[in-house]
Amino acid sequence: MKQYCYGSTVFFLFLDFQFLMKKRHEQKLVVLSIALFLVFNVPFLLVFNSDGQLFGIPVFYFSIFSIWILSIVISYIVLKRHYE
Amino acid sequence: MNNYSLVLIIILYLAVLFYIAFFAERKKKSKWVNNPYVYTLSLAVYCSAWTYYGSIGIAANSGIDFLPIYLGPVIAAPLWIVLLRKIIRISKQHKISSIADFISLRYGNHRFLGALVTLVCLFGTLPYISLQLKAVSETFAIIADETSYISTSILDDSTFYVALLLAVFATFFGTQNTDASEKHKGIIASVAFESVLKLLFFLVIGIYITFYLFDGTTDIYSKISNTENFNSLIKLNGIEDSFNWFFMTGLSFIAIFLLPRQFQVSVLENIREKHLKKAIWMFPLYLLLFNVFVIFIAWAGKLTFGNAVNAEYYTLLLPLENGNSFLATLVFLGGFSAVISMVVVSTLALSIMVSNNLIIPYGFLDKFIKNQPERNSKYIKNIRRISIFTIIITAYFFYVSFSRELSLYSIGLISFVIIAQLAPSFFIGLYWNRGSSKAAIIGIIVGILIVLYTLVLPFTVQAYTGSDDFVQYGLRGISALKPHALFGIDFLSPPAHAFFWSMSANILCYLIFSLTSKGHYRERNYAEMFVDIRNFSTLQDSALVWKGEAYVADIKNVLVRFLGETKANRALSIFFTKYKLSPDTQIADARLINFSEKLLTGSIGSASAKILIASVVKEEQISLVEVLKILEESKEHIVSNKVLLEKSNELAELSSKLKTANQELITKDKQKDEFLDTVAHELKTPITGIRAATELLMDDIDDMPMEMKQQFLKNILQDSDRLGRLINNILDFEKLETGRLNLDIERYDIQNTMKKAMSSISHIASKKEIRLINRNPHSFKLNYDEDRILQVLTNLLSNAMKFCKEKTGEITIDYKLGNQFVEISVSDNGKGIPSEDHDFIFEKFYQSKHQNTIKPHGSGLGLAITKQIVQKHNGKIWAEKGLKKGAKLVFTLPFE
Repeated sequence: MKQYCYGSTVFFLFLDFQFLMKKRHEQKLVVLSIALFLVFNVPFLLVFNSDGQLFGIPVFYFSIFSIWILSIVISYIVLKRHYE
Repeated sequence: MNNYSLVLIIILYLAVLFYIAFFAERKKKSKWVNNPYVYTLSLAVYCSAWTYYGSIGIAANSGIDFLPIYLGPVIAAPLWIVLLRKIIRISKQHKISSIADFISLRYGNHRFLGALVTLVCLFGTLPYISLQLKAVSETFAIIADETSYISTSILDDSTFYVALLLAVFATFFGTQNTDASEKHKGIIASVAFESVLKLLFFLVIGIYITFYLFDGTTDIYSKISNTENFNSLIKLNGIEDSFNWFFMTGLSFIAIFLLPRQFQVSVLENIREKHLKKAIWMFPLYLLLFNVFVIFIAWAGKLTFGNAVNAEYYTLLLPLENGNSFLATLVFLGGFSAVISMVVVSTLALSIMVSNNLIIPYGFLDKFIKNQPERNSKYIKNIRRISIFTIIITAYFFYVSFSRELSLYSIGLISFVIIAQLAPSFFIGLYWNRGSSKAAIIGIIVGILIVLYTLVLPFTVQAYTGSDDFVQYGLRGISALKPHALFGIDFLSPPAHAFFWSMSANILCYLIFSLTSKGHYRERNYAEMFVDIRNFSTLQDSALVWKGEAYVADIKNVLVRFLGETKANRALSIFFTKYKLSPDTQIADARLINFSEKLLTGSIGSASAKILIASVVKEEQISLVEVLKILEESKEHIVSNKVLLEKSNELAELSSKLKTANQELITKDKQKDEFLDTVAHELKTPITGIRAATELLMDDIDDMPMEMKQQFLKNILQDSDRLGRLINNILDFEKLETGRLNLDIERYDIQNTMKKAMSSISHIASKKEIRLINRNPHSFKLNYDEDRILQVLTNLLSNAMKFCKEKTGEITIDYKLGNQFVEISVSDNGKGIPSEDHDFIFEKFYQSKHQNTIKPHGSGLGLAITKQIVQKHNGKIWAEKGLKKGAKLVFTLPFE
């Protein structure tokens, strides 16, 4: 019985510190971060480095803002689906 | 606007903030204060006056350079799920109250390291605070519309009073508790409120300028695109520019973690880890909204004013130019909000660092030991209060003497570069257990020296002497030592250049010196705890390895000095219950030492806590090897516990499986009994009939008229037939249920089988005048056991016949081809199946309640056998639900 009690305390401690998200889904966010780092830096950034505009927004700004929004949406979806 | 009414507005606004903070402090537990939105908005303290005004200045003058400051955090945000959570977890576990505490604790409660980090933070943040004051003063001057407004003395300068008011605010809500690791909910709530306001007002002015003053984004673009050098504003200019961009992104990535105010709100004021879930996507969204209109405001300003005014204040000047002073006041209040939150949170964080890592460990400890507990807590609070005032006033003087000439952007970046020097010891230390305090100190000092030379010195020299010889020709004219182009690297902007050199040197020093010296055992102990927080958090207080002699009474004495008698007693009793120790334990163990250090950390900082506890205990030196061995053992202990836990879970699962199996067996047994009962009963009925008829015949064999005799004999025959059928059925069913029946599967035409089934019952049907309809005349070949399927069909057909009325009855047989199966249906226009029977008609001996009136014809096994046969063919059988009239039974047969 005593052994069992000890086991259960350990168990609750684990619960307390258990990750709320599975590792695989966490790593999705890490990969997102790496992807953002690559896209937001040279040489990748030079892809958008051109003249012209879309809706009055220069192409460079427009691309950065779009990636920005995309990253928000992706994090939102990943967290919504896999947290808890 | 009138100077006095503006002052009135400012005071009113501050009163509102006081009220909000006060309300939040009173309702600490309410969901208005504890929610992920407040947490996310408090993170927006990142957007200071620099964002609010500075971005526009850069967008107007040098183009895209304002963006990397926000892209760093955007890159960092998804990483928070791993990185920030680890930091939060460590901080909560060790009751850490500032970034200086965090770093010094990681390197074994190192006193000097804590002090050094504090100095770096002070050095980096003071100019930043002064930059905020500069923004207040300049915007005030613009709004107040006084050309004569040039403050001649401090007492005349409204900024000075604003600074004092902010200090009062920070003091009032920042020093309610001696324990600095307690949350400051009042301040956080007001910061969240200000974050809403600043974003809202910025968006309002953005929309006003873009869509009201101008005709939308395309209008502004088409006008500005004709101006000179426009292309340099919307693109990266070559590879050199992209290097700057790269370093700036890195810099802001570091800043979002390490700026003292950022560490304060994101780590120390975090109430629940799960609030990160919202913050990870909402914070980048907040930043995005803040940046959308920046370029349009900047260009609109440029189109309106040319280069005549300071571009940083276009948001104020544009509405004023168009006579809209109300909007301008709103913008001013938004900027003011940005300033207040930044100044208050920064000074709060700095004051805690200064008191816990600088003043207390380097001077006040001896005094504290002699003092009474009440006076100690008062002293600690006073030290913090004085620090807050000193910091703000120093920042004010810094502003008066230096930053009037500099732009918001350049001061902000200098701060970032200075704070970034903490990055190697912070980030690498989180994941690398060999990083040592000596290496951290050397790295930080070397980094800071390089920043001083490349960034701070040039502008100080320039501000004092007015000449830029130092920048142009380098130290003593040596061109390799030019501060903005060390060793000929001249293509980077000054902050990027300073960041590059200082960070490279810092990281290299940190790595090299960590490896050349053998670490101290205590230091390594903490390193292991930080790096492997998941395992060590389960160890809790046993994670610290400590050997020596210590008495509970001595330690209690120290605790009483700082926490007071009642709190200390309560804490100790919690400790004793937690570890199941007797309350009159005399000898203290490692766990108590660790526990008490943690208790004191919040009030006086980790370094002082260590020194205090060390002063009352006798510690024995342990070798590093021994420490590592003990840690390894405790980790193994955890792992084995984990394994045990898994095993016990498995066992529990297994036993529950056994339980369900047992339950099933019991039900099966019951079913078998019921089955036997029914069978016996069913067998008895015809036998009784036969026996009665025979008896009658035997008794009255002579007197009975011929017709009656024949009738009785007919009855006997019928009952024997029924008996025979029943026995056959039971045998069949038994074979099917126990799985002993082997199907004789061959290729047949389903049409033929259907016809055979129909012809076998056609004579009964024609007797009853029931019409049999075959809806689908096509033939289709598939594999099945014809005899058995014939049995199924006959069963279904005779079942249908039973429920049909004579003369008007109609039975339809039909089949459809589905995807990989044939669906065969038998429907009638009889009275249908009552809905409550739908689920049971395929069970053995189930006969509907509604049949009670008539004598049941079948054995009660027909449909059960049918179901078994169909299932044996891997098909399904069911009764269609929701029919208006009649019944429809359907079964499927799969084919390849």
